[in-house]
Amino acid sequence: MSLSSEQQGVIDAALRDSVFLYGAPGSGKSTAAVGLLKRFLAGGVPGNSILILTPQRTLQDPFLVPLRSPETVAGSDVTTVTIGGLARRMCDLFWPLVAERAGFHDPTRPPLFLTLETAQYYMAHLVRPLLDQGYFESLTIDRNRLYSQVLDNLNKSAAVGFPYTEIGARLDAAWTGEPGQRRVYRDAQDCATRFREFCLSHNLLDFSLQVETFWSYLWPDPLVRGYLSKTYRHLIYDNVEEDVPRAHDLVRAWLPDLDSALLIYDEGGGHRRFLGSDPLTAWSLRDLCNAQRTLETSFVMSPAIADLTSSLRGVLESAERTGLGAAPRAIMDSASREHYHAGLQMISQRFYPQLLDGIVEEIRSLLAPDGSEAQVSAGEIVVLAPYLSDALRFALTSRLEAKGIPWRTHRPSRSLHDEPASLALLTLAALAHPHWNVRPSKLDVAHSLMMALGMDLVRAQLLAEIVYRSSELTLSSFDVIRPESQERLTYVFGSRYTGLRDWLLGYRGSLPLPLDHFLRRLFGEVLSQPGFGFHRNLDAARVTGKLVESVRKFRLAMEPAFVGEDHPDFDVGREYLSVLQEGIIAAQYLEGWKPATDDAVLVTPAYSFLMMNRPAAVQFWLDPGSSGWYQRLDQPLTHTHVLSREWPPGRQWTFSDEEGANRETMTRLILGLLQRCSRKVYLAITELGESGFEERGQLLYAFESILSGGSASQ
Amino acid sequence: MTTSFTPRPSQREILNYTGGKLGISAVPGSGKTHTLSALAAQIISEGRLQAGQEVLIVTLVNSAVDNFAARIGDFIRARGLIPQIGYRVRTLHGLAHDIVREDAPLVGLDKKFTIVDESTSAAILHATADAWLRSHPNGIDSWLAPSLDDFQRGKVMHKGLPELVESIALSFIRSAKDQRLTPDRLRAKIQQQPTPLPLAQLGLELYSDYQQALAYRGAVDFDDLIRLACDMLELSPQLLERLRYRWPFILEDEAQDSSEMQQLIISMLAGNDGNWVRVGDPNQAIFETFTTANPQLLRDFIESNAHRDMPETGRCQPLIMDMANTLIRWVMDEHPIPAARDALSPPFMVPAPPGDPQQNPPADRDGIHFLGTRLAPEEEVDQVVSSLAAWMPDHKDRTVAVLTSTNDHAARVVGALKDKGLECRELLRSTAPTRAAAGALSLVLSCLAEPGSATKMAQAYRVWRRDWREAEEHLDLLDQAARSIRQQKRVEEFVYPLAPALPADRTSNAGRVSEADSALGVDVAELEAELAQFKDVIRRWHGATLLPIDQLVLTVSQEVFSSPTDLALGHKLALVLRQVADENPAWRLVELVPSLRDIARNERRFVGFSADDAGFNPDAYPGTVIVSTMHKAKGLEWDRVYLMSVNNYDYPADQAGDQFISEKWFLRERLNLEAETLAQLKAANSVSEYDYYEEGRPTRQARLDYVRERLRLIFVGITRARRELIVSWNTGRGEATPSLAFAALKGWWEARAGTAG
Repeated sequence: MSLSSEQQGVIDAALRDSVFLYGAPGSGKSTAAVGLLKRFLAGGVPGNSILILTPQRTLQDPFLVPLRSPETVAGSDVTTVTIGGLARRMCDLFWPLVAERAGFHDPTRPPLFLTLETAQYYMAHLVRPLLDQGYFESLTIDRNRLYSQVLDNLNKSAAVGFPYTEIGARLDAAWTGEPGQRRVYRDAQDCATRFREFCLSHNLLDFSLQVETFWSYLWPDPLVRGYLSKTYRHLIYDNVEEDVPRAHDLVRAWLPDLDSALLIYDEGGGHRRFLGSDPLTAWSLRDLCNAQRTLETSFVMSPAIADLTSSLRGVLESAERTGLGAAPRAIMDSASREHYHAGLQMISQRFYPQLLDGIVEEIRSLLAPDGSEAQVSAGEIVVLAPYLSDALRFALTSRLEAKGIPWRTHRPSRSLHDEPASLALLTLAALAHPHWNVRPSKLDVAHSLMMALGMDLVRAQLLAEIVYRSSELTLSSFDVIRPESQERLTYVFGSRYTGLRDWLLGYRGSLPLPLDHFLRRLFGEVLSQPGFGFHRNLDAARVTGKLVESVRKFRLAMEPAFVGEDHPDFDVGREYLSVLQEGIIAAQYLEGWKPATDDAVLVTPAYSFLMMNRPAAVQFWLDPGSSGWYQRLDQPLTHTHVLSREWPPGRQWTFSDEEGANRETMTRLILGLLQRCSRKVYLAITELGESGFEERGQLLYAFESILSGGSASQ
Repeated sequence: MTTSFTPRPSQREILNYTGGKLGISAVPGSGKTHTLSALAAQIISEGRLQAGQEVLIVTLVNSAVDNFAARIGDFIRARGLIPQIGYRVRTLHGLAHDIVREDAPLVGLDKKFTIVDESTSAAILHATADAWLRSHPNGIDSWLAPSLDDFQRGKVMHKGLPELVESIALSFIRSAKDQRLTPDRLRAKIQQQPTPLPLAQLGLELYSDYQQALAYRGAVDFDDLIRLACDMLELSPQLLERLRYRWPFILEDEAQDSSEMQQLIISMLAGNDGNWVRVGDPNQAIFETFTTANPQLLRDFIESNAHRDMPETGRCQPLIMDMANTLIRWVMDEHPIPAARDALSPPFMVPAPPGDPQQNPPADRDGIHFLGTRLAPEEEVDQVVSSLAAWMPDHKDRTVAVLTSTNDHAARVVGALKDKGLECRELLRSTAPTRAAAGALSLVLSCLAEPGSATKMAQAYRVWRRDWREAEEHLDLLDQAARSIRQQKRVEEFVYPLAPALPADRTSNAGRVSEADSALGVDVAELEAELAQFKDVIRRWHGATLLPIDQLVLTVSQEVFSSPTDLALGHKLALVLRQVADENPAWRLVELVPSLRDIARNERRFVGFSADDAGFNPDAYPGTVIVSTMHKAKGLEWDRVYLMSVNNYDYPADQAGDQFISEKWFLRERLNLEAETLAQLKAANSVSEYDYYEEGRPTRQARLDYVRERLRLIFVGITRARRELIVSWNTGRGEATPSLAFAALKGWWEARAGTAG
């Protein structure tokens, strides 16, 4: 791709200086950064002296493409990392140096880094007994969400940079609701404190403790600082506006030591506010750079979209002035209405499934209008919703599939709890470990026989009925079944069943293995063998791999705290089954994200699309009436804004703060989407939303304000 | 105007409304809902709303305003605007849900809070009452009648008492929530009382346990929703201000059934100078006993604000109207209990004006009958059934209903009608399409939960071909295919044959068609093709059982449903079942299927799948006897109506010998313990010294309330009839006599006939 002269100018400047680059999405900033990386490497700068920092891993994708390209000059590896990743690496590397100072009780033992899930597990372990004592009594909330919000508070304290001991007090001071609710903040603080103490005494490092240890103990240490400064001479920091204040603090302190730095700030960004990102602290880095550049031309928006953007901006900003979520109605003549319709079209139905049919039909006609050439390719179409429920995703993608339209989706996988292959494996694991005393239902056993032996459901159910005794957790032999039933089940399945049963019996007679080892053996020795259900089922094999990995991580995270003499009854395998079932760990994993060039319709939540940082020619917006376009991801035990750096301690969070935040969120999101749209937005409206409710949120009103120009109210 | 609606004079006056508070008293059949809808349309089309504003319509049931909603939607769409903007129709629960969703954390709710459905709530209540009784085996002893012998006592402990405690729990919790008392607040109040209130204490314990069970599920119930909405409006002036801006006009239908909480919420939303129109018929307030509704609220509102009457009605023939008016007069002037005389009140019903599109049926002296003879209950049923048997053959084009006082009684009437071979139908308020769709899905899911059952597979087949039910030409094939599936001895061989059978081999019945089938007039090849097609479907469904429940439901519903409403319901059920499955991770299909129907019924509270689901339409069933309780018949009308068992047991007047259902025989002095408990709750929550608790007084007061409500129920019953009305009574368990109202009306009718004759 050829670069513009502005982009070239940025690269030239950033080769040996610190540059702050600002611009709208689609103005070519990341492309310039990639160009800089290529220039460095081509110019002989060692890869291992370059640090690429991004707020989340997926934002590193544009840089990975050239790094993996065969044309790239061979040499040492460039480091691509997030603040959390960097903290973790440093904690790992300098553990002996810091463990004791940071308050870990047993510095002689290695650290154990917790994932979000294993942290959630430990949190549940600590908080569950407290709930029975009356903690959080006045709160109506799903338990797993409660655990994750307490963790979120700890993460915010580390990412924003305030003592975790102040969490409760900060939240309490901002509260204006029902006074009886205040006690939950005290409880939340207590749980956070207990969790931190538990982590310190078992050498467990969740995200918050990794960042805290790095920032408070490692970074100030001359040895560590010297190491970092010596290693990395060039910094490329993309999407600074999406990162947390602590990351900004780090870069602020580091900048003077670096040979060069390119910091990239996306106009209108800040979409990760709910994860602690802070565009204000990001902006403060601007003046610390020696040069400030701006890229202005959008390579994306068509004139119609640009006009729609400016109208919406007008409506949203005037709402900000008049308050109450109301906007004065705009006047629009018919010519401008037509102009709008070049960039905006409505699809409206009464019921949800009708709407999905309408969308798929429209996509079909865009891809292959009758007899003429396609208007766009599938890869240029994206279907967005503020929330994407599993049901919606399934309903939409199955319709696309039925029309032969390729699709892909951009969200974490199904939980392993929902994957048939992993359910089958875990059911068999329960049968192999009777001492767990986990008794699968007959239907579960039937499903697992169906998967494992490649049987049909009817025979699998029949077989389970005959051979499985849940009270004794036994499977009886095929040989003792009445001949008539054997015939019904067929001898082919009979012999596979016998193979599986013999293997399970053999295993039960030996010493139990860790669950992940067990699963590997079961898969390798039985299920993947010719004739068995996983032999040709690549999807099942993939899920098995993920399950083994998930169990292994869980086991490694449990061992320091629970495995050993203190907890003789603790069985990692049984515990895994139970926490998976309770949803304490979701065991989701990211499916390999396909590159943007894949020619398939993308179905994704709106925020995920923004964070992919790529344009699309046509965007379908589902549920414009939903409050998900502006309401903050609210949680009663934590608070994005109150726990942010700019919030003055002690100030109350009022209703108008809430409204202001909502407006700001929506404006950011909507403008962000439009700036990534080159041709047309379809507004997909139903009278009744997915759940059967009428939904008429602020976004719908904003569009109505634009479209109703000159209507009856004048 | 957006509707082709020709208003009557009284309706026109209401359409002249421009603002402020207005109370409207309407008689049955006066078109109040229609007028209210027209008013809303007028407000929108005249441009009285600003951007982001809506007319808020609050009603008891969504279906009443659906036609209007559709018309306005079309009007807005025609102008190229976004449909559905400009008005919002809500039940009180729906409105409360909207309000709470505005800012749930303000009242300690997670934004993803769940609402337990009625069946879950009932199950929790049952468990709570049961647990309380087990931990307090002698907890009710001091109220039991001392005369109970051991046998009676055993019987009571087994059945009467658990039921009583459960019903006390239900009404106590509901009432406490209506008074916005949380268990904590209530506990504090009880502790401050100078004298102990043991029944309130009992209620508190039940309430507290019940709330804990809800909290454990991270859920609230419907009554909590209303209480929390109210709390939020008080806590947050900004929220209130925003909602006041959003809803500058509030139109409230069926306001006679408004509760204090409903009134409070709407009055806060309307504000002191707001625009609030309340329409209702206080004479039709018949839900007081089961709920916290209170018709006096509407009466007070009408008295203290501008008000209009809507007395014109085109529904009943003049003599039936006279009879209803006579009942109002008799109650007001002559009821022996002076305190009951306010049960009914004007306006009196007057006929529709000349030229009105809905003219009253002509006067017909033979249209009114009183069965005055003393009849045992079964004899009364026989008489009614015989009367219908004689009448029906000549009146196939007329509609007719039998209205009873209880569900049990309705079921007995249905049995007798069926024995006589008369076509009949029991009226169930929960509507047919929703139930049918949920029922269809649950049949398929049952088949998937038990894949080896040929019977269930045959049912699933019928569901798959449900569009054929009305298609005469497919019926034989449908029946034959279903029979063929049901007869499969080896379902596995039928669906998944492993080795293809030899063409000549007809010994196995695995999916093959027998000679007998072809003898029944169905083409063998056609039947085999049909079965083959179904086998493809069922195999696909079997594969889908490995999917999470939401995806399974979607897969099935996309294959069995074609109407948009059914498909939308399928989608909704998928979401809700997924939530149930998430809450109960160990549940599989077997456990999930039974909850499906409950869910479908419950979701109607909020879900607007009502356009095709607009409640029961009596005119769709000419020639069929509709059997219903009087309560369920509200809002409906028939050509001929039977009012049964109008005796002094079902309709007492608080005279010597009258008995009251709520006064249990096993309690001392036949106390109405539910009423006594609620009175203690009121005393605990009151600062007025006049609200002190005195045992027995609440029982007497409850009698009076009941007497009044039953008078209104008779009024509702009478005004269901367009042309003919037959009123009868029975002796109950032996001692019942005609109710006083029956006697008075019969006397009026005889005197009239005498005068006329």
